[in-house]
Amino acid sequence: MRYQNATAYRFLAPYLLIFSIFWLWPIISSFLISFQATRTVPWRFAPSFNWGRLIGDPAFFNALKNTLLILVIQVPVMITLAIVMAVLLNSPLLKARGLFRFAFFAPVVVGEVAYSAVFRLMFNLDYGIINKLLNSVGLPRIDWFSNVTPAMAVIMIAVTWRWAGYNAIILLAGLQSIPQDVYEAATLDRVSKLKQFFYITLPLLKPIIVFCAVLSIIGTMQLFTEPFLITERGGPGGGTETLGLLLYRQGFRSLNFGYASAIAYTMAGLAIAISLAQLWLTRDPK
Amino acid sequence: MAAVTLKKVVKRFGVFEIVHGANIDVNDGEFVVFVGPSGCGKSTLLRMIAGLEDISGGEIAIGGKLVNDVEPADRGIAMVFQSYALYPHMSVEQNLSFGLRMNGNPKADTERRVKRAAEILRIAELMKRRPRQLSGGQRQRVAIGRAIVREPQVFLFDEPLSNLDAELRVQMRVEISRLHKELGVTMIYVTHDQTEAMTLADRIVVLNAGNIEQIGAPLDLYDDPANRFVAGFVGSPKMNFMAAKVVGNDGAVTVELANHGGARLRKPLSGAPPAVGAEVVLGVRPEHFFEAGEGDCDIAVKADVAEHLGSVSYVYASAGPEELIIEREASRQRANGDHMAVSIKAVRSLLFDKSGARIR
Repeated sequence: MRYQNATAYRFLAPYLLIFSIFWLWPIISSFLISFQATRTVPWRFAPSFNWGRLIGDPAFFNALKNTLLILVIQVPVMITLAIVMAVLLNSPLLKARGLFRFAFFAPVVVGEVAYSAVFRLMFNLDYGIINKLLNSVGLPRIDWFSNVTPAMAVIMIAVTWRWAGYNAIILLAGLQSIPQDVYEAATLDRVSKLKQFFYITLPLLKPIIVFCAVLSIIGTMQLFTEPFLITERGGPGGGTETLGLLLYRQGFRSLNFGYASAIAYTMAGLAIAISLAQLWLTRDPK
Repeated sequence: MAAVTLKKVVKRFGVFEIVHGANIDVNDGEFVVFVGPSGCGKSTLLRMIAGLEDISGGEIAIGGKLVNDVEPADRGIAMVFQSYALYPHMSVEQNLSFGLRMNGNPKADTERRVKRAAEILRIAELMKRRPRQLSGGQRQRVAIGRAIVREPQVFLFDEPLSNLDAELRVQMRVEISRLHKELGVTMIYVTHDQTEAMTLADRIVVLNAGNIEQIGAPLDLYDDPANRFVAGFVGSPKMNFMAAKVVGNDGAVTVELANHGGARLRKPLSGAPPAVGAEVVLGVRPEHFFEAGEGDCDIAVKADVAEHLGSVSYVYASAGPEELIIEREASRQRANGDHMAVSIKAVRSLLFDKSGARIR
């Protein structure tokens, strides 16, 4: 038995080695780095240097506020939209289901840089199609990238566009696992389609919805590409700077690894905390 | 309570016709079982009565009212599904009351109905549990309870016992029988299990490939099947079929068994006998073989395997290409390829023509 275990571990060894070097060690190392003052050479151990700065840093709180704002607005909107899309995809009345499924999933496949470029063009002040459309219905055009609120809206719209279909596909799988005869029983019970949705579909889909929400929370906490590319590094004036962007600025522009590590751990901690809270709030009553 | 009438009911899925013009009259308060092999259209027929499937042709009436275009919920029926179809996220109590609550039924009446159903099915102590915390038998009770609270005129059962183990199946069978007596409501029950059909039904409808083969009381089907399919489907173990040829038709018909060394059986018929030379099939139930010399025609077979059930023994025997199941008195004797002789009685055998129709 013992010998068999040893053999198994020998086979696992290459993986465990690579895992330890490239995964486990960076995690531990960055945690240690967050306690080091990395602006001096050599680095020295100074726990309050980064963590102390974090607590009083207006840039950090600005990024935190922006990230949470996007999280609180974008995630619920996207999940709701994804549920609606999944239900429509699941409808027996829908023709060309495969095509729609592909279309919903396609944004995830499109390169981030390409899609960001398209969004920048679409929301361009002078030639963007969005402003053209607004104009054509008699609304004033909006300077999307020069004001904080519209810039935030663009980011939320972009993220929603990119990920709603992805979540819809996951939710669709959940929908399809609900047995048809439960709906037939409800039909015989004279329960309308709308009530079936609220009293049967949603409760039975809840675990999948929570799963999607947790994935989205984690994703949004790390949001980087959209504010980096679409609103040009968190513009205007840091108005859309997220924690991910702040981390990038500290780690890669200022080469302040200690502070960047502290930010990274804060992001991970917050993502875990919010996800756990979400799981706890939506747990099944005993 | 209500009678259910099906007139020339047809079901097509695209170009495929699944049910070819079914005519069935279910009397008020009757327990009728639709039985047949899988794919015979029995469940489709039931779902059409429930309104869960559209009717491609013909008419269905419940309580004298044409229901072809009536919503399922307005047909006065309740259905019990094979998979129970309980709402997994609701307690037993919520499962029972869900339909009534959604329709704004007065609370006191809902409570009364739920209480009554719980009493009838003896599930009162399970009311707070979720379906996943119940055994298969308990789930089935809840599913039946959900049908009871609707106080329907007709109960529909779609293979309700097929997910239960053998012992529980017998127990639930008795329960459903009791329920029928207690409620006195029309019940239509679909199963592929002929034992369930025989034990539960007032009348059985035997279906095969979308056609009704025969409708009748269980023992009438057993004693007097209309054709080879019904003869083979009703009764367990199955009826034996032996190839034979007509060699004489002077008042009675005389047949020669093809695989039994020229053994002949003379069988009186009430109708016209088939022509000499016609190929026919002789049907004999396992329990209708007698000791050699006691019947009208002795045959010799090779006993391959014996199954001893305690009360009786079944011998799986062969004669040439033909396999026979023969019921014997209980014994401990092993079958080891020995030859044995048994006898057939003319009155305890049935004759079918080549197409499977009964020759009476």
